[in-house]
Amino acid sequence: MVAVPGWRRGPNWLAVLTGVAALAVAGCGSDNKSSSDTGSASAPAAADTTAAPAPAAADTTGPDPQPAVAPRSGGSGTPIKIAIMSECQGAFGSFDNQNMAGAVAALSQFAGAKPKNPNKPKDGFTGGAIGDHPLKLVGVGCGNDQADTAIKETRRLMEQLGADIMIGPLSGDESIAVANYAKQHPDKTFVDGSAGAQDTTLKVKAPNFYRFNGDGAQWNAGLGDLAFNKLGWKKAAIISDDYSFGWTSTAGFIADFCAAGGQITKRVFPPLNTTDYSSFAQQLPDDVDGTFVAVGGAGLIPFLKAYEQAKGPIDSKKFIGNLFWGTPGQFEQLGPRVSGAYIGGAGTAGDLNTPAAQDFATNIIGKWFKKIPPGGDAAPQSSSTFTYGYYVNTWGLIKGLEAVKGDISGGQKKLQAAMAKVTLPAPYGEIKLDDNRQAVTDVFYQQLYTKDGKLAVKTIAKIPSVDQTFGGTFSASTPAPGRNFPTCEKKSLPWIGKSQPVKVVG
Amino acid sequence: MSFVRGSRLTPDRAVGSVLLVVALFAPLIFNTYWISTLLTQMLILGVVAASLIFLSAYGGMVSLAQVAIYGVAGFALGNLTTNGNTKGLNLGWAEVPGIVVAILIAVLVAMLFGALASRSFGIYFLMITLVFSVIANLFFGQVTSVSGFGGISGIPIPDFLSRTAHPERLYFVTLAVALAMYAMMRYVARTPFGLTLQGIRDDPVRMSSLGYNVTLHRTLAFGFGGFVAAVGGILFVWWNAQIAPSTIGLSATIDVLVIAVIGGLYRLEGAWIGALVFVVINNYAQDVSFIGDRFHTLIGLIFLVIVLVSPDGLIGLWERATSARKRARPGDITEERGSAELTPAG
Repeated sequence: MVAVPGWRRGPNWLAVLTGVAALAVAGCGSDNKSSSDTGSASAPAAADTTAAPAPAAADTTGPDPQPAVAPRSGGSGTPIKIAIMSECQGAFGSFDNQNMAGAVAALSQFAGAKPKNPNKPKDGFTGGAIGDHPLKLVGVGCGNDQADTAIKETRRLMEQLGADIMIGPLSGDESIAVANYAKQHPDKTFVDGSAGAQDTTLKVKAPNFYRFNGDGAQWNAGLGDLAFNKLGWKKAAIISDDYSFGWTSTAGFIADFCAAGGQITKRVFPPLNTTDYSSFAQQLPDDVDGTFVAVGGAGLIPFLKAYEQAKGPIDSKKFIGNLFWGTPGQFEQLGPRVSGAYIGGAGTAGDLNTPAAQDFATNIIGKWFKKIPPGGDAAPQSSSTFTYGYYVNTWGLIKGLEAVKGDISGGQKKLQAAMAKVTLPAPYGEIKLDDNRQAVTDVFYQQLYTKDGKLAVKTIAKIPSVDQTFGGTFSASTPAPGRNFPTCEKKSLPWIGKSQPVKVVG
Repeated sequence: MSFVRGSRLTPDRAVGSVLLVVALFAPLIFNTYWISTLLTQMLILGVVAASLIFLSAYGGMVSLAQVAIYGVAGFALGNLTTNGNTKGLNLGWAEVPGIVVAILIAVLVAMLFGALASRSFGIYFLMITLVFSVIANLFFGQVTSVSGFGGISGIPIPDFLSRTAHPERLYFVTLAVALAMYAMMRYVARTPFGLTLQGIRDDPVRMSSLGYNVTLHRTLAFGFGGFVAAVGGILFVWWNAQIAPSTIGLSATIDVLVIAVIGGLYRLEGAWIGALVFVVINNYAQDVSFIGDRFHTLIGLIFLVIVLVSPDGLIGLWERATSARKRARPGDITEERGSAELTPAG
């Protein structure tokens, strides 16, 4: 026997080091810290109409408010086992309760369920039924915006806990993975949560995956029309995070702007999580009329500061941002200079002055929940893209289940056929599905403005019935949005020139 | 030194045989979820952790680059065999050439990493391999033509391994591959190359003065460990159908190290024991209501307890139990340890 000095007892330094590292990773994983990129997804809850009076012809039409059904708990039918794939870690971890609030509110409003705890949506619901079939929440998944975790959790929910139907996930790459999973499990049904990746429905095309919310490109429809026809931009540059959401978000602007007749002369793609944007700001040309910015999260302010260093003070009329600009609080140091810039939405408009929109906040989300932690009061969080996304997707599922009276036998084929025909008189405009089971929906753009010396956001206009293809720019056979796609082509888009000013509350 | 390798039934062999029988009949014992998800994942993570343990136990190299290498194989396979997807190169190759080339690429990368790191020892080696892991993660995160942040999804799996049609087949393939890798590592450790490697582990200066090329041996060992990890990467991609930079991120790197340490860093079998503990806790901890979202903290605490109670991991507990029994028997003072049993008498 050979004695191995120092080895026999194992490398103790390694054990200690690994322990520290494991705890550090554990700490990162379970810390539900709010990140600045995601708070932005909330649309404004209130706006000051005196600062920018809405035109007389403002659109106040929309679907009617939807009353709640009576509480019910079903009969002797086979229970329908539902799983919700939420997010409790990672960049979006702090929106766990918003996701759950959206889903549980829809189940309460339309399927007779009841939240277990009006101050904590994460606790789920009791009761609820479709026809004779009681609803059962078998589990809530904990995603962390990574596809691997989404698949792991989906397997746990569907295979270990035996769910029939899953609602979720929250973010783009997760949804592509889940849609691929759905394809391999045709006898189960999946509805999206709030994920906005284009590929999920356009490319993967799982016949049993339904999405009642828009994708990242749809959310920016109308901005190109605005830039070209109202702001007079002829040539524009874009700068975007170099990953799928950035590309998709930018693709919506490029498709729209080029369709209207504009030219994109420069595309700059800083890697995700860049900290020093000075070289990227330098790459932006001077001879353009404006710049579309799809830099998100912690990168947006550093980019704008680097831009000012390189090119001088920001002129807000020469910038359009995507949804990441929707959190006015982050612009503290740039406040007055970005006031006036237009921004893309996330399919929501909390300040919309229509009965359905206001009813959604006060009589649906605000009725079933008092608080949505950690954000506080529930009603103002109704227009978060997460609350709204989970709400409309769950509602679409309920309507599909209603159509088949809760009968999910026969590999759920009847349910899946019924789901494809569902239309929703949703709070921010009607939603119907296209052939890829992707929402065709109204979208909104917003503007930063100054209210009482502080920056705020208000909704400006609605772009009706935006579909995923942008008049054929995107299809199953085109490349996915990327650094060089879409190319810049003039073409006719159904919504160009059709944006409608909206009336907002305030 | 004991060269006695007869047919004597040692506790190790008894338990190993029982576990092997359980593994072979697992589909009769466990439900489909356990077979197609937990146990398959356990075997795959075990292969990767075993490659780390091989380098650590026989070469004295604790490598954090194993996950990076398994990622290289996984991304290579994804790029080579996927077709019509939106991310990656979409070369649409057949499975077999795809697998061969993917493993080849991963082994070449491992040899390169090994050549760069093999002059370092101890914590310096650990840090260099950590850098490799970070480089691989950032490379696939930022080079959008081969992956990008979102990774490659919809990677095809051979038809006969389809999870929905035959949930147990991938399990059996993984089990067979894991056993083959285990046998191969045991075999290599006993070859002249393996014995030299162990000599280098114990005293590189002496081995060098005896005329052995220390750097070359360590590089080759690293390449071999890379091969094992790459095989794990292929299995992972089949099992998961997709791979993203986060698959090989820092957290995954530490997960594999944690598995190896939980199992025990000096015996190959520890890899699968650690992987089983890790996978099961990871899966079930969040179902316990009072733990809920804090399950990562729980895993961290369990890990700390294991490391404190037995710095040699769970295998260490077993070893102590059996060696205590042996010591109680007069006249038998031989102690068998995987890493040391065949080292040259010193």
